[in-house]
Amino acid sequence: MERSSVWIAGVGAVSSAGSDISSTLDAFANARRNPSNTLPFESSITCPTFQVATALPTLSPALNRSRSLRLAMKAVREAMVEAENKEFDRNARLGVCIGTTVASQLNSIPFYDAYRRDGNPPLESVHDYLRANLAQAIGELLNVSGPRMTIVNACSSGTDAIGVAANWIRAGICDLAVAGGADELNRVAMAGFWSLGVMSSQPCAPFDRDREGLNLGEGAGMLILESASHAHKRNKKHGMEVAGFGAACDGHHLTAPHPEGRGLDAAIRTALSQAGVKPSQIAFINVHGTATTENDRAEGKVIARVFDSHVPLVATKGYTGHTLGAAGGLEAVFTVLGLRKGWIPASVGFENHADDIPVAPVRQRTTIDGEFALSTSLAFGGNNAALLIRRTA
Amino acid sequence: MKSERNNPLPPVSIQSIGAVTPQGRDLQAIGKRLEQPVATTPAVLQVNDEFLSDPAIGSRMRRADRFARMAAVAALDSWAGAKDTCANVPKERIGLIVSSGFGPHCRGFRFIDGILDCGDSDALPTDFSHSVHGAAAAYITELLELRGPSLSTTDFEIGFEQAVLLAQCWLDQQVCDRVLVGAVEEIGEVLVHCASRMLDEKTFVPGEGAVFMMLAPTDAKGLARLEATTEPRDIDLLMLDAPANPSRMARQPLLPTRHTTTFSPYFGHSPSSSAFQLLGGFLSLRAGRPLGRPIQNAAHAPAHLEAVDKVATFKPSCDPRVTSLLITKG
Repeated sequence: MERSSVWIAGVGAVSSAGSDISSTLDAFANARRNPSNTLPFESSITCPTFQVATALPTLSPALNRSRSLRLAMKAVREAMVEAENKEFDRNARLGVCIGTTVASQLNSIPFYDAYRRDGNPPLESVHDYLRANLAQAIGELLNVSGPRMTIVNACSSGTDAIGVAANWIRAGICDLAVAGGADELNRVAMAGFWSLGVMSSQPCAPFDRDREGLNLGEGAGMLILESASHAHKRNKKHGMEVAGFGAACDGHHLTAPHPEGRGLDAAIRTALSQAGVKPSQIAFINVHGTATTENDRAEGKVIARVFDSHVPLVATKGYTGHTLGAAGGLEAVFTVLGLRKGWIPASVGFENHADDIPVAPVRQRTTIDGEFALSTSLAFGGNNAALLIRRTA
Repeated sequence: MKSERNNPLPPVSIQSIGAVTPQGRDLQAIGKRLEQPVATTPAVLQVNDEFLSDPAIGSRMRRADRFARMAAVAALDSWAGAKDTCANVPKERIGLIVSSGFGPHCRGFRFIDGILDCGDSDALPTDFSHSVHGAAAAYITELLELRGPSLSTTDFEIGFEQAVLLAQCWLDQQVCDRVLVGAVEEIGEVLVHCASRMLDEKTFVPGEGAVFMMLAPTDAKGLARLEATTEPRDIDLLMLDAPANPSRMARQPLLPTRHTTTFSPYFGHSPSSSAFQLLGGFLSLRAGRPLGRPIQNAAHAPAHLEAVDKVATFKPSCDPRVTSLLITKG
């Protein structure tokens, strides 16, 4: 079956690494990270987090209380400007596909505490939750009525969202799509990951021998995807495209990855075969690299099995923390930036090769050369996704 | 931006349906219940726990909650119904899409109970891992040993419609050879409390349950054909997610149809209502006559139908994107 191109017309990112693309690249170039030991909420848990310090867009009062939505809109607006959205055909159909975790849950502790105490809590947080479904709210803010989907596949949500949006465009359901992920720091998620025993008391060290676990972060990473016909209509030539996408589940365990990375292996091979690309053609991989023992081990085994051991790897959660539903969106943007700039940053936090991981990420800024790069995601529930991006100019 | 003009994808073939609802789990029994008028609608329409155990599950879901169990038994029933037609399909080629509005929120509140009672660092990990939306999908893939793409989605209006649209996409683009697509909602006491304060209880009755269907490409032989669309035409039976009080129905605009019905008094309302309306429509198609509660409307009085060949759900309150699901015989 002939596959039509899905172009990447613009990207936007906000995370602890930077408030936009430019400041993110600056942090990457200088291997600078900003973990914080102060939480934005009260909690008995003490551990580093990666927070967004920049001002976020002010939305209507009804939406402004959703930090995830404001993070998302910050990245969407940056991506839209780069995509030169003012040139979009006014009859174009725009879809919105967003991954998240925190924004999908009614997890207001004050609301529930009040419900338990007197059975008559204020309902403001329930109204907020209902209004701030990310795809629904972003669709309304952008005044569009194309397809929409909020994906809640835990840590692979952002990558899955980009894959789904690419499916829509290839199917002719929409001409353009906003795709990516967004998530905020939240006390419930913090307590949850703590309860699982996968958080580190130190700034995280993905793929490292001494890795202790993950740090939570917040942010948003967004892509504007465009069909070939729409780009042609506005005489636009883009330099990046979504060349392949693969998703596969382990069917193994609710929280742990399959020890041999069965689903990730399948997802990567699907993404490569869609584009007819050999593993040796991959310029670099932006790994999921949560810095948890099991994730990094399983992911490392798969990469060693599928790829030439010399393919450069970059683990970017050392800069952003684990931003959960946003991670796949952010890392897709970072993959685009690597191909665009011709270099990948040092995998900050990684120092020592781990005996149980057969591959290692780069320790310093590394020049890369090639057309294709891959971003991988593993998630709760055994979900795995791989996104293949191609530089065409 | 204009809305999408329509769905350009071919319809898909429904191979099987599995459901667990306030009216039971066996499709034949549910069909019979839908023939009987509902005298009074209770304040909440919940699934009886007796329907949530299954020999195929055994002890493999001992830590799971009602949300995951409802999804699992409906998925298992759909799987059992499609066994013959899926026998030669590799597990890597079977995708899963689970849509929900509220997700496993009851387990989420149980995790917050742990935070409030024991402190942030001592809440139970099992409650946390089951409180994420993808927990139900994880159980289904484990039980059925599925290896294809698995997706959980959330939306408060058109989640199931968009899930069907994506299943059409996946099958048309040969991402998968089969897609198990479903919707699941759980109603807990907090949600019932919120609904009673936020919504008119005369028009809104919270309902729960799960509906799953195995879908195959358009050319596969099956029970019926299904597509997500913007505006279904020439339909025999329109299923509306109607208010519990029929007198309020007259205010809502309707599509041209020969007969309008609702299954809301049987299944209740939820963000996934259209999956349950679709189930009622499918059973009407199978029975050859409209089931459910007929809706009287000045412009569209119920007509006598010789046959029911084409049925559709429709959400009058939503904007004009894909908000309708159309089933045709054959």
